[in-house]
Amino acid sequence: MIEQLRQRLQALQKTAVLDGAPGHLPLGIAAIDAALGGGLTRGALHEVAAVSEGHLAAATGFALGLVSSRRLLWIAEDMALAESGVPHGPGLDAFGLLPEQLLTVAAARPHDLLWAMEEALRCRAIGAVIGELRQSEIDMVMLRRLSLAAADSGALALLLRAAPPTDASTAATRWIVGASPSATASPRFAAQLTRNRRGPLGAWILEWSDSDERFLLATPAQPVAAPALDRPHRQVA
Amino acid sequence: MIVAVDEAAERLGLHAGLALAQARAMHPALEAIAEDAEADAGLLEKIADWCLRYTPLVALDAPDGLTLDIGGCAHLYGGEQQLVADLGARIAQAGFAYTIAIAGTIGAARAAAHFGAPGSYTGGEERGLLAPLPLSALRLAPGTVAALARVGLKRVGDIVDLPRSPLTARFGGELLRQLDRALGLEHEPLNPRLPVAPYVAEQRFAEPIAREEDVLAILTRLAGRLQFALERRGDGARRLELTLFRTDGEVRRIAAGCSRPLRDPAQIRALFVERLAALADAFDPGFGFDMARLSVLVAEPSPPEQIGIGGGENAAEADRQVDQLADRLSARLGSRRVRRLIAQDSHIPEIAAANMPAQAALAAADAGWPAFRQFRAEAGLAPRPLRLLQRPEPIEAVAEVPDGPPLRFRWRRALHEVIAAEGPERIEGAWWSEHGGHPSGNLARDYFRVEDKSGLRFWLFRSGLYRDLMREDLAQGAAAPTWFLHGTFA
Repeated sequence: MIEQLRQRLQALQKTAVLDGAPGHLPLGIAAIDAALGGGLTRGALHEVAAVSEGHLAAATGFALGLVSSRRLLWIAEDMALAESGVPHGPGLDAFGLLPEQLLTVAAARPHDLLWAMEEALRCRAIGAVIGELRQSEIDMVMLRRLSLAAADSGALALLLRAAPPTDASTAATRWIVGASPSATASPRFAAQLTRNRRGPLGAWILEWSDSDERFLLATPAQPVAAPALDRPHRQVA
Repeated sequence: MIVAVDEAAERLGLHAGLALAQARAMHPALEAIAEDAEADAGLLEKIADWCLRYTPLVALDAPDGLTLDIGGCAHLYGGEQQLVADLGARIAQAGFAYTIAIAGTIGAARAAAHFGAPGSYTGGEERGLLAPLPLSALRLAPGTVAALARVGLKRVGDIVDLPRSPLTARFGGELLRQLDRALGLEHEPLNPRLPVAPYVAEQRFAEPIAREEDVLAILTRLAGRLQFALERRGDGARRLELTLFRTDGEVRRIAAGCSRPLRDPAQIRALFVERLAALADAFDPGFGFDMARLSVLVAEPSPPEQIGIGGGENAAEADRQVDQLADRLSARLGSRRVRRLIAQDSHIPEIAAANMPAQAALAAADAGWPAFRQFRAEAGLAPRPLRLLQRPEPIEAVAEVPDGPPLRFRWRRALHEVIAAEGPERIEGAWWSEHGGHPSGNLARDYFRVEDKSGLRFWLFRSGLYRDLMREDLAQGAAAPTWFLHGTFA
């Protein structure tokens, strides 16, 4: 009886595997990929929050580096675009994005933004959707719907926030990103993984390499002790 | 002064042109309503919209008339008389008094309706119709009518048989032109108020429909009819309009645009589903719609596409799906909110990469970016920021005069200490146009990439050059060059 229930549960839980594409998006750094269980899960919702509003550009760069998808939809609230600026075509090349394949949507209300994200996730041709939200709290029901829509189509859904969110989240991973001083032309990010469904948390300093179009580890990882929870599969780094 | 009177007032002997005081003296119990020309014009437009159900060729005949071209439409109502009866019944139901006249030319019909000879006149009867009417029935200037009256010519019949050249010499060419047009000797096409759509499909209902599902079902059927017509010509629809006519006379218009020419009824239906969802409250069916018309406002050639046989998605199919997504989002949120990035040929950063609505027709499918990348590689442009502010924000900066990068600056009440700076990159306005082709004028900008202590990177510029200022200008209070923040890097 329990076995049957377990099998039914597994059948209901959707695993995001596209035909031909891997279920995970590896970052190319062994430590982070191990923590994430192979890489960033496709077909799931992830959150990237900036340390503070001034660091939003760094968070944007980090999000773009994570996504590195061919077809991207960027949905932002009007306020976000007015305060932090619009994506600039010539600057997107550095992150491996072709401006001609980027579609931007300016939403008047958060409701419109979440609806547009869901619509975009349902479209099979879109590889990733970035939604830039200004408000600090999002309806749990809407988050769940976005996760389901992402799992259905296997696309990556990313929520970009301007301040570290205070509520518990149902996202697969949550990152808090800030800018880090760098002497070279390549940008550096201080990325902190504060929620991870598949493994331990951590903080790393990453450098984006324009020529390779991937992240590189700038300093050794500093693992952060995860909060105590009763999860048998967790490893402590 | 009185502009218009109703029947009761007419019977009492009042007419337009009388002074109000005089009319009040004659009949103290008058009800006078102030004239509102704008509201009257709006009302005329509404009635014109209403008359679109009979024919798309409707022209305004200000201030109180309409001209309809019903050639070819009358059979849908079972004949001209039935059409006139239907139109008259609806207008009377709305509470207006009217006269309707049908004739072979615009001039003759108008003259008949305005000067008291309503009815239906077949082509060829214009002479007989117009002869007894006064000369002001032809659309002439009042000065010409007065001049003709002075000579003793009061009716159209008087001038019809006169020799033409003396008339033209004395009263101008307009007189004979209007006469020829009214008689049908010169063709006068009707100038419709709204452009005529190349493809139209319409449906009338015996029972008015009000539910959204019914409207969508009708829409799909109409789209299917249009599909035949479009396919025959190899066209697709870029802009569609659904016109719904309510039983009480209101007209609702819903338009939708597409990124690429559409023919498939299912896709057209999907577009309008979003449009209707966006309209929600404004879509007020009242007592129901009794006629629906789907018109293609803009049609473009749409060559038949090759469907790939092999499995998996190729780039063209993916492009099509993204376009459909853009259409759905535009239909729901508005076409200005769904944008693409276009590279334009300008050095000024906010113009070089522009945000255009995704549905607008693009000259180049790749939006000019490969050309830009090639230019950037050749010219060795400095890196550009990831996010650009829509308007550069003024900052307070401390920098070495005249050319140095900023040492520290204050932006949005936060002080930033600059650790490293790269630049300057000089971008000057277009010297050949008056304001440099840019709202802020022809000021040269020196751009710097700066990094502050925490690793944040900004794109700042100094607007204006010190070398352009003379000492005397500064002493007199001319503005020193100012610093702005334009964008942020990752």
